[in-house]
Amino acid sequence: MRRVLIPVLVPTLALVLALAALTGLAFATNPGSTVTKARLERALPAVFAHVYVQEQRLAGRTGLTVADLDPVAMCDRGGPSVADTGPGSDWVCLMSWQDPEVPMPTEGYGKFELTVRSNDCFTASSPSKLVGYATMTDASGKTVTNPAYEFDGCFDPDTSNTPTGHTFPSLLSLTSTTAQVDASGHPQVQLGCGTGSDGCAGTLTATVATADGSTGRSLGSVPFDLAEEQVKTVTLPGRLRAGDSQVVVTLSTTTGVGSSSPATLAVQGATG
Amino acid sequence: MSAAVRFELRKLAAQWRVRALLLAALLGPIPVALVMSAQANPPKDTLFGRFALDNGFALALMLLGFLGQWVLPLLTSVVAGDSFASEDQHGTWKTVLTRSTSRNRLFWAKVLVNLGLTTLVLVVLAASTIASALLVEGAPALTGLTGQLIAPGHALWLVAAAWLSVLPPLLGFTCLALLMSVWTRSSAAAIAVPVVLALAMQMLGSVGTLEPVRPFLLTTAFESWHGLLTDPRFTGPLLEGFVVSAAWAAVCLAGASFILHRRDITGG
Amino acid sequence: MTTTPSPRPDGSPPAAVEAVGLVKTYGSVRAVDGVSLRVEPGEVYGMLGPNGAGKTTFLRMLFGLIRPDSGTVRVFGRSWAESGVGVLEGVAGFIEAPRFYPYLTGRQNLEALALLDGGASRGRVEEVLGTVDLADRAHLKVGGYSYGMKQRLGVAASLLRDPRLLVLDEPANGLDPGGIRDMRALVKRLASGGLTVLLSSHHMDEVEEICDNVTIMARGAVAFHGSLPDLRALAPEPGHLLRTTDDVAAERLALARPDLRVGRDGDTLRVAGQRAATTGLVADLVAAGVGLLELTPTQTPLEELFFMLTDPAGTAPTGGAAA
Repeated sequence: MRRVLIPVLVPTLALVLALAALTGLAFATNPGSTVTKARLERALPAVFAHVYVQEQRLAGRTGLTVADLDPVAMCDRGGPSVADTGPGSDWVCLMSWQDPEVPMPTEGYGKFELTVRSNDCFTASSPSKLVGYATMTDASGKTVTNPAYEFDGCFDPDTSNTPTGHTFPSLLSLTSTTAQVDASGHPQVQLGCGTGSDGCAGTLTATVATADGSTGRSLGSVPFDLAEEQVKTVTLPGRLRAGDSQVVVTLSTTTGVGSSSPATLAVQGATG
Repeated sequence: MSAAVRFELRKLAAQWRVRALLLAALLGPIPVALVMSAQANPPKDTLFGRFALDNGFALALMLLGFLGQWVLPLLTSVVAGDSFASEDQHGTWKTVLTRSTSRNRLFWAKVLVNLGLTTLVLVVLAASTIASALLVEGAPALTGLTGQLIAPGHALWLVAAAWLSVLPPLLGFTCLALLMSVWTRSSAAAIAVPVVLALAMQMLGSVGTLEPVRPFLLTTAFESWHGLLTDPRFTGPLLEGFVVSAAWAAVCLAGASFILHRRDITGG
Repeated sequence: MTTTPSPRPDGSPPAAVEAVGLVKTYGSVRAVDGVSLRVEPGEVYGMLGPNGAGKTTFLRMLFGLIRPDSGTVRVFGRSWAESGVGVLEGVAGFIEAPRFYPYLTGRQNLEALALLDGGASRGRVEEVLGTVDLADRAHLKVGGYSYGMKQRLGVAASLLRDPRLLVLDEPANGLDPGGIRDMRALVKRLASGGLTVLLSSHHMDEVEEICDNVTIMARGAVAFHGSLPDLRALAPEPGHLLRTTDDVAAERLALARPDLRVGRDGDTLRVAGQRAATTGLVADLVAAGVGLLELTPTQTPLEELFFMLTDPAGTAPTGGAAA
């Protein structure tokens, strides 16, 4: 048995060792990942422009061209604490483009989620609000696959890695649908700050909702400062009284974008 | 030299495994294309997989991406891995080396013949895969890797070029199989080790944290055709893959030649 | 690659094989331990020794299959260091059992091997197949050949090279009696054609029949070196086993002859002496009216010598019927 095994084992082990040595060497001279923020910010718009125009053609629009669309993107991997480099499924890109028939929402961009692989290729899924769903109806009424809903692309690892300089503000939103009352009677709401260049900052103001829609008793205002992709609970200085069933929350942002129209939230929990 | 090459060719031509390999390369893609086109959901996790059910070009490219993982290394090591080890198995080293044929000449004859056969197998496999994919699924315009639409006439050339671009790393695996064949003197080991190594390299290369190793792996070059399908085209990875494959081949052949020249032929 | 064989100082052609101080060790085993020998062109040279004596290792070094630790071997004046594989020009033969590609037919094997020699005509392949009596089996795959057929194909493959030196390692090994007879006849025929033959064997009688000079090897070293007459001079007197109608009378008659040594092998009477003495005893027996039932030679003298030379403890059997 030994006579049979040794001639096979020795070369195999030697190969494994060689591969391990190669790995060590590679790490010692690590040139850094080819998957970077700047390269994705160039590659994604290039691919998207093509597949979006394809989608519109299928739908019967012939006038739109890749050049007209002029998409611009900003990419980020895994929030502020993760370096924006390397393959992973936690890449997010914000992208805006010019289509007169489909205007951008107030924040000015759509959010794309990317899975980027180490082979410099990626799969992107588009925001349905702006691009539509997995299937679509073509000009002749047939149901077809929407080419822009989810798409693959690859980029040249040797292309420029200089920053594109494109930035988009974070999108601030109320992530709680109710106002939670804490032990001492203060209402609490939750804020979320999306991917963006500088996070979200501003002031939150709240009042007690009234039946006739007039401005109710003030619950005070609180400043907030969130990093991108952060969720935070904000506690208002005023207290709720028995019978207060809803609060009206208004956000004003100095950094980031968010809806400035008041939102009404139901009160949940015991009120003093 | 040419005598030794003709000698090796004559032996290869008489072996069932060589005929079976060529036959598999020729006929294998037909059932694969038929089965793929009958799938309900496209295999989106492989590049071009999302179009693979209704576009022959995409199917041919998806299969190329999939085959690189282990089928191509297997195809080449089935014969190359047997090349030197079978002389041990049949005890025929002494038969050939007592006939005024130097080890050097015999070594290079085997190398040349195996590189040639691997090239032939790849060409047959590529032609058969592309033809069956196009016959089964048709040849509409292909969506490239920049989202651009590629006209069928142009797509055919690009797909063929993509298939041929895996030749350098494939020949690298041939040399690896030849090295194992000389070193282990066992056909089974010399066929299995390159295939296992291909899978291991594929895995190493896909782990995000091991990215620095990627450029040195033979399997990375199996994916260098991606640049042909983008707009604008890029060829940096193709060149890099060529250099890396050549380096692997050179190291393997140097090792194999060294071992063969030093060894005592005692068996048989 | 070809180098002109350097003639010896006296102008005569170089030796067919000249080994000087060849050593090959495997671990602590000295498989070949300082062997020197010389085979002159045109002679039939025997290399004799029991299995494991180092004959095959020596022949492998001659063919360049293994590298000696020290010492040199020259073939027709060429050495591996100077001429590389050119050493094997004009040399053919096989080592241990000849091996072929089992998936090729006998004829295809020869045709393929002929490619390595620079090609041989179709007619030549048929000719050597005929020489070894394989013409009618040449279309069968070698995988199905018997041991003897492979052995004969090995000779055919060697002849294909039109060698000046033919090296045969135990050519009769594993053959049935008929095969052995045919093989010996074949070697004799080839040798009579002027070919230099280096024959290894562990059968004394095989060598005795056809060789001019012999080297007897034991445990890697040379135990005897010289011509067959020299070897015979060393041999003990031939022995015979006797069975008669009256063993007592026979023993008395044998003991009466001073030129015979007499002993007993179990129940059987054994006498040893020159041929004349033995025939004299037979005449004595006939004259005395003792009926001779059986007169069997014990091992041939050379065989006995062979055992003595190669068996250090001297425990070689001295009795028993010869095969």
